[in-house]
Amino acid sequence: MGDFAKRRAEFLAQDQKPSPARRAEFLAMTDDWVIDLARAAGIDEINGALVAVGGYGRGELSPGSDLDLLLLVPPATNPNLIPVVADKLWYPIWDESIRLDHSVRTVAQARTMAADDLKVALGLLDARTVYGDDNLRQTLTAQVLADWRAMGEQRLPELRSYVQDRTARNGELAHLLEPDLKESFGGLRDVGILRGVAATGIAEVDQTGLAQAHQFLLDVRDALHAVTHRPSDRLSLQEQSAVANLLGFESDDELLRAVSSAGRTISYISELTWHRVKHQGVTARKGILRRKVISSQITDETPLAAGVIARDGEVVLTESAEPSADPVLILRAAAAAAQHGLRLHPDTVRTLAEQSAPMPVPWPRDAREALVSLVGAGRLALPVWEALDQFEIFNRLIPEWSVVRAAPQHNPLHTFTVDRHLVETAINSSNMTRRVARPDLLLIGALFHDIGKARERDHTEVGVELMPAIGARLGFNAKDTDVLVKLVQHHLLLPDVATKRDPEDDATVDFVAGIVQDHDFLEMLHALSEADSRATGPAVSSEWRLSLIADLVSRVHAVLRGDEVPPIPELDEKRLEVGASGDIEVVLDSQASLPTITISAPDSTGLLAACAGVLALHRLSVRTATTQTVGDRAVSVWGVTPQYGDMPDTNDVASDLRLSLEGKLDVSARLERRREDLFGVGFTYPPAQVLILDDVSARATVIELRAHDFPGLLRLVAQAISSIDVDIIAARVATLGSEAVDVFYVTEKSGTGAGLTPERAQQVRGSMLSALELNNSPVE
Amino acid sequence: MKLITAIVKPFKLEDIKVALEARGLHGMTVSEASGYGRQRGHTEVYRGAEYTVDLVPKVRIEVLVDDADADSVVTTIVDAANTGRIGDGKVWVVPVDSVVRVRTGEKGSEAL
Repeated sequence: MGDFAKRRAEFLAQDQKPSPARRAEFLAMTDDWVIDLARAAGIDEINGALVAVGGYGRGELSPGSDLDLLLLVPPATNPNLIPVVADKLWYPIWDESIRLDHSVRTVAQARTMAADDLKVALGLLDARTVYGDDNLRQTLTAQVLADWRAMGEQRLPELRSYVQDRTARNGELAHLLEPDLKESFGGLRDVGILRGVAATGIAEVDQTGLAQAHQFLLDVRDALHAVTHRPSDRLSLQEQSAVANLLGFESDDELLRAVSSAGRTISYISELTWHRVKHQGVTARKGILRRKVISSQITDETPLAAGVIARDGEVVLTESAEPSADPVLILRAAAAAAQHGLRLHPDTVRTLAEQSAPMPVPWPRDAREALVSLVGAGRLALPVWEALDQFEIFNRLIPEWSVVRAAPQHNPLHTFTVDRHLVETAINSSNMTRRVARPDLLLIGALFHDIGKARERDHTEVGVELMPAIGARLGFNAKDTDVLVKLVQHHLLLPDVATKRDPEDDATVDFVAGIVQDHDFLEMLHALSEADSRATGPAVSSEWRLSLIADLVSRVHAVLRGDEVPPIPELDEKRLEVGASGDIEVVLDSQASLPTITISAPDSTGLLAACAGVLALHRLSVRTATTQTVGDRAVSVWGVTPQYGDMPDTNDVASDLRLSLEGKLDVSARLERRREDLFGVGFTYPPAQVLILDDVSARATVIELRAHDFPGLLRLVAQAISSIDVDIIAARVATLGSEAVDVFYVTEKSGTGAGLTPERAQQVRGSMLSALELNNSPVE
Repeated sequence: MKLITAIVKPFKLEDIKVALEARGLHGMTVSEASGYGRQRGHTEVYRGAEYTVDLVPKVRIEVLVDDADADSVVTTIVDAANTGRIGDGKVWVVPVDSVVRVRTGEKGSEAL
């Protein structure tokens, strides 16, 4: 070991708590040595400069870091002298077994390298003269920076895909139980990248908390290198105790929470910065770089929900929005952002966090639905969730969340912290909403299935104790809350039984059937098990393991009795009196928590579609609907919420319905235009499913639609059914968050009141699916 | 030394673990496997959709033991894995030349 290596080893063996001051001391010690080497190597004789780049350039030297050094030489240097100087520089460093990343270039050569290689360019942006002619280094910095700015629009998409690749490989720092401090998203590498983005001048980088998070991660890395005597940046479980100890944390859990919090700050700022870059129109497509307005379908100031608009590609509040008088606004804005694939503007989140009125308990229906919509948006919910989480908004809305937030779990099967595991499970289940009859209960059950974790006792037991209060607070009725509790209670049932008991044994199947009771719950539990497994980690989500669960589920389905027959809905007498005169009549009842509109009209083919269309036209979102035919009239009761503003005038609704039925108002075209305004920002949802429920009703064929909701969905589907020349004698519509579960009772027109033959039923199904398929086609 | 490999029904893993632990064997390697023997694939009918299961899920258990213990460990595994039905699996034994414990460098029986 050479002299420097000895001094270095002694310094590192001091076992002192890492800090910026200590890092500065280590840097100065290293610099002094490198300066001596540079002087001795004769850099002055060639008028060169020894330049530190990358992390060393920024002064972020950890015990295991490489020395990134560039020997910068003037263009006219005698080529015979360069190897002599370089050898005198590099050999002593190698001899001391210090890891070295080295190069010798002129300013022009370095500039060319930077143009070809993104990492070189980023490294050179942080160039710092260690010894020699600082003017030479300043020339280099000025030219590289000028190139970087000039080429920013081309470099940033490249940089963005580099960040995405890294995230795919290394995950997110804030949510991993064994994160890579440098390469995971939200890690040290991203801080350097943010400096690079800021240097282009294309997007502003929010600095709130950034420097602090950065210094903390550097401290953790120093401690990790000191403990392991290796340059690895992966904070593995087995090292966490020692690292926590060196940093003065009371436990490794505390360390991981702090690392998570720092990672969250950096990843939030990164997400936001990249969103701004994208919004500035810098994007790459098929290798051709171009500027374009990203949110081409979302025009400026597009209203998304009451008090919420999209402006410049971000979700902001309208001037008239009042967070202090509108507690649901926060969730409505979040759901609207997620469903449209947009980010919440940071100032909007801050305003909502600071000014929102406390949520009433139980939550109003629209608050609950907004939460369902938010998590139902799948991956698009993540950035919105993170933005809210940055201000600990969920801790306030759901106090139980604060215990699981960033909570580590000591289980090698798990990849994520408890809160991210819950969010990941909910996101995974958003892909399975078509498999279940109650997508809202699946999504919420998934979001809370492990809410009992990070406490001293068995997490399922704690979850079962917590869930009734959570379900009631969210405003679910007692029956739905029971289902949620049962989901929490049995979320491990299927994987446990499938891997530990003989699926061929009748007793095993009967045991599970006895617990789940019906097909609906079994389907929901199956979806939750799969979503949970995939969110846990690769060890428990292999296709092999999921096939064991699927096999058990199919055996249990086979022994469960048939589902309960959903009876044809019947309206109460009072409703049926509406429009007894025979003309079109529209009555509004806005007293109930969910306002209802009762419509009576002479029965005709396509009436349901016309009613649904007119309501959509008046910007009413249909949450529930029940229809019944009485003689030659059809009465329908619609539970609706205005998308923005107030309820429409009933006379206007009646008159539009009349015009529509007379063919004088083209509802289709008007709705279609509006849909183009609202959709098409990369949101993909699971395809619709249409189920024909056999033998459910003697009087009619029952057809169930499970689809993603959008304005005009019901009109489109009702029209598709009517186009097959059948009657819809009744319907029951439920919109759960952004998911619609609609049941139609259909008969032949003959007046015999008979249900459809299987072939005719398939024809109706085909018509519904093709209508939705057409509608799913991308808007150009 | 011998390497014992057992391919058994997945749900039998717990029973085998308990049985081996009861006789003082605490280490084993478990991996997911699938395949078929005489059991072949079977056809399932579920909600009208017929699908053929070509490969049946199994677990593969590997245990290293001293020569003298091999027969009795095989018996323990077979007893624990037996359901008497088709597809219970197979167990086989192969000789092992040498074993090293990575952490300590111990070799042979010491490393078991």
